[in-house]
Amino acid sequence: MNQKARIFDVIRRSIEGPIVSESDFDMKHIYQNLKKIVKKYDIKITSDSFINFDDELSDRVWKAAIEFLAESGVYCKDTGRIVQYTEREIKEAIRMAPRSAVFGEGNDTVYEYPRTADDPRPPVSLGGSINVPCPNEYFVPIMLSYMQEPRVDYHCPTTNLTTINGIPLRTRTPLELFAAYEEISTFRHVAAMSGRPGMPYNGVGISVSDVGELAASHLMKKTDSHSIGVISELKFDNSIMNKIAQCCMLDHQICPYCNPIYGGLGGGLNTQVVLLTAEMIAASTVFMGTTVGTTPTHPSLFCSTTKELLQMTSVAFQAISRNSHIMTRLTHTMVGGLATKTFMYEIIASCLVATKSGLARLQGPRAATGAIVGAASGLEARFQGEVLHAAVRIDRSKAEEIVEKAYNLYKDDLDKKPYGKPFWEVYDVKTIQPGKEWLDVYEAAREEAISWGLPLDLV
Amino acid sequence: MLELKEKFQALSEAIFDGDDETSLDEVDKLLREGTNPLNIFTECVEPTLNDMGEQFAALEIFLPDLVLAGDVVTAIQDKLMPIMKEQNIEGRNKGKGVIATVSGDLHDIGKSMVCLMLQINGFQIVDLGVDVSPINIVRKAEEMDADIVALSGLMIPSLPYMKETIDQVRASSKLGNHTKIMVGGGPVTQKWADDNGADGYSDDSLGAVRLASELMGVA
Repeated sequence: MNQKARIFDVIRRSIEGPIVSESDFDMKHIYQNLKKIVKKYDIKITSDSFINFDDELSDRVWKAAIEFLAESGVYCKDTGRIVQYTEREIKEAIRMAPRSAVFGEGNDTVYEYPRTADDPRPPVSLGGSINVPCPNEYFVPIMLSYMQEPRVDYHCPTTNLTTINGIPLRTRTPLELFAAYEEISTFRHVAAMSGRPGMPYNGVGISVSDVGELAASHLMKKTDSHSIGVISELKFDNSIMNKIAQCCMLDHQICPYCNPIYGGLGGGLNTQVVLLTAEMIAASTVFMGTTVGTTPTHPSLFCSTTKELLQMTSVAFQAISRNSHIMTRLTHTMVGGLATKTFMYEIIASCLVATKSGLARLQGPRAATGAIVGAASGLEARFQGEVLHAAVRIDRSKAEEIVEKAYNLYKDDLDKKPYGKPFWEVYDVKTIQPGKEWLDVYEAAREEAISWGLPLDLV
Repeated sequence: MLELKEKFQALSEAIFDGDDETSLDEVDKLLREGTNPLNIFTECVEPTLNDMGEQFAALEIFLPDLVLAGDVVTAIQDKLMPIMKEQNIEGRNKGKGVIATVSGDLHDIGKSMVCLMLQINGFQIVDLGVDVSPINIVRKAEEMDADIVALSGLMIPSLPYMKETIDQVRASSKLGNHTKIMVGGGPVTQKWADDNGADGYSDDSLGAVRLASELMGVA
């Protein structure tokens, strides 16, 4: 079954669907609908735990999300219309979602598959501080620092190129086109230099509009991953559909993601969990994702590691993994930066919650909110991979205990913004090796996590 | 706990609940009782909105609650402004301006949060939306003789457009140097703001209100 055959149906519905003003969509279709559905299905996250242990709650969230999505639809900003599917159609589309995926080639082939909360197989680890800004001269060294790490299954070019031939990058101009070419071709070159020529590429990060993505698609392979952002909440425009249509024509893998903002239109914890689940279902059904992703964000801390966000992520991912074979991915963002303990504790907590919630692929970890110049290096991706492999060796209860320990050590640091240091201050930029300061923080975190019962010494 | 005179409690609750019908009924009642329309703002509407702003910053209430309250306050303003004009009562206007996510960027919610917080704190802000070109931002700002231009951008490629908007505002004979420019968003920093001629930078909605108040010289 090839769900990409749905493309013309989606296009037609975006042109012929019911007309709704954007403000009405936001307040009535999203917010008021969520409140009604949450009340109907009695969705309440009352437990204090980070990892969800309430299977019945996650099953109710699943049903609530499908009903909510059927009622709300997905909004096309360019036509002012809703793409709406019935519950039956949504369920049929879910059944047609891919049951596995292959990215990359040769020794670097990555197999992705739906996981469960207690799955003995670790999630795939995509190492990369996606879209972090960085001066052009560090684009290659940072990429190398990730690709040399065996625990990095694959990589998204970490840094947004800031200039092209000295001209500041502007979207929807030829500069974006050239930037996309440069990003992909540099990635291939660096992958080869790292001895990993088959490593899958996840992009096109630099392509904010469709210009770069469409122009550079011929440089991408069927075994790469087109990461396509959907507009919050449950919206898209023709630029996004152009990227998706291109993937359909080339038989490339569509990997859409949503970015719910906690406290935004989705409200608080109980409504957000339904919205998040619905957004990932929409990514699979309306946007025909091979895998579906999310980057939930705190509105002022710009991270995904607050307690509420960890809790809602856990319930939402379990709702999907318990009730479908949709493959999910999370891009997690931390407040802590390179060479800070905060960062390491956040990684431990987030990796454990994600693994024990049925996630298929974890992307990141994004340091220092992903917005601080040069906050990216391969060492944290090494740690992420190690924690993911260790996580499947312990049960959910043990994982919960460790998450709580880690969280208690970083929760009071979040609003202090410990953004750490940039790559060039914690790595030797000639040898592309982590410096002593960063290594000491990494080793200390490893030892502490081992003392808590996380078997990092066995992976 | 918000402390208001008893006569304002019902109106405050109606604003909090986003209930425009009850709010307007309460306003009518207060006017019949001889309450000065300006006092309705200063002793009820503004403290209620300030309280809601703080609750939002603490994530005790959320963006839709502010949107609904904002709609109610707009309805109250529409009712009271003509009366105040008739009675020669001067309203409190901290400043007017525009806010936009600049060209090439579709990020909306953070900008909407800042816009709402500014509006509920007494600034008249027009939200121009997302992906707005520098020239269109400047045109609208000139049209309303804006005191404030607030720019949001979450992507690196947004920054040149943000810089261009700043340059065009400064070059405008109408806006010139009197219009204050505030910037914010992922890749934007205080240093970037300083280096590129903005008057201020904030990384969250509460900070944006404080910044706007400082720039306008109002409490």
